[in-house]
Amino acid sequence: MTQGILKAKWWKIACVLLLVHTVIAGFLTAVPAKPILHETIRNLYFHVCMWFSMMFIFTVSLVYSIKYLMDPKEESDIIASECANTGLVFGMLGLVTGMLWLRYTWGETGRDWWAPDPKLNGALIALLSYFAYIVLRMSIDDEQKKARVAAVYNIFAYVMMIVFVMIYPRLGNVDSLHPGNGGNPGFNQYDLDNQMRMVFYPAVLGWVMLSVWIASINIRLEKINRYNHNKI
Amino acid sequence: MNQLTAIMQRELRHELRSRRSWLAILLYIFSVVYITYLAFQHDLEPTTWNALFWILIIFISMFAASGSFAGRESEMLYIYTLVSPRKFIMARLIYNGLFMLLVSIAAFMAYSLFVGNPVGSILVFFSTLLLAVWGISSLLTMAFAIAIKGGGGFALMAIISFPLLVPLLITAQHLSSLSMQIEPTGYMGNMAALLSLDALIAALCYLLFPYLWRD
Repeated sequence: MTQGILKAKWWKIACVLLLVHTVIAGFLTAVPAKPILHETIRNLYFHVCMWFSMMFIFTVSLVYSIKYLMDPKEESDIIASECANTGLVFGMLGLVTGMLWLRYTWGETGRDWWAPDPKLNGALIALLSYFAYIVLRMSIDDEQKKARVAAVYNIFAYVMMIVFVMIYPRLGNVDSLHPGNGGNPGFNQYDLDNQMRMVFYPAVLGWVMLSVWIASINIRLEKINRYNHNKI
Repeated sequence: MNQLTAIMQRELRHELRSRRSWLAILLYIFSVVYITYLAFQHDLEPTTWNALFWILIIFISMFAASGSFAGRESEMLYIYTLVSPRKFIMARLIYNGLFMLLVSIAAFMAYSLFVGNPVGSILVFFSTLLLAVWGISSLLTMAFAIAIKGGGGFALMAIISFPLLVPLLITAQHLSSLSMQIEPTGYMGNMAALLSLDALIAALCYLLFPYLWRD
């Protein structure tokens, strides 16, 4: 069933339309003039969506790792690893867009590239553990062994990442600069007006669809690679 | 239960026989602590003391974890035939936890001897050390089991375990900074967080280790 949906064209067209809408509406529609944030608030349509996509695609990777351990099929392993790769790309984009944003809003304008914020650290830990996942995969030659060991590590890393994101902001001495934590009002309460919502929600959907699209292409490429490799 | 104690006895005997590994760990602890002493010469703020202490603990426990596993692959073939993977990992977690606890207490003693000791509440500090080291040793045990399968030794273990160690370390660091006060308050929540982290890591090891067992 999933195969059929992945090959279908309609959602890819929808994805492109949504992203075109995101870029055009994101840069052209009016945004509320907030102090400090000003026009940078438009980054919401890009930066936040990267994290949504990353978490979504990492979760897919986790599901297929669990699936692999329960029923070792090569396909589950390919999906798990390619989703992890794709998630890493979105994670890095999320980090870069976030760093650009914080440069103009937090700390001294235009000077800092990093801030002591739980979410930044959590994001970095997530990226580090998934890079470690790739290193681990590269260091094992045997395909089945690689798939099993990597699946074990993937589950471990995902759980620890979630725990980190949950525990760290509660440690008393760290307040997040992000909205919604430590006394900061969330975007959803009153910052995000209806017009921004009209752009933000389609943007999230569009970026998540794009991540699935990229992952599905990666998966097909990897399948072709392995097929060719086995034929030789 | 019998199997658990039998595996632990085996580990202990192995450890006692290879005196070289004991000496290596003690020497390692001494060297890293002495280097920090040379670099800082006693005038350490409690915050710096705390940060350095936990960094030392990571390095020392990584070294200790790799030492206690090295060169054991051949006898694993024999153990495969005797016990179930879940029993084996439980015994390993308990044994390594105790072992690492001894190592970290030795590290703490050396550190307070050379660099000083600003700890106000010994009770809070030692409970933190106990819980943190227990979690670190379980995580490293699992990471090393993964790294051995990956064919890489110490380097691979360091890479794959470091990001996963961070939640444990920051919780422990926060707690031990609280223990610098004579009568610390508000540590129960963090202590509970640390305890549940330990339980979570142990549960993950218990669930996932059988998949690393044999090829």
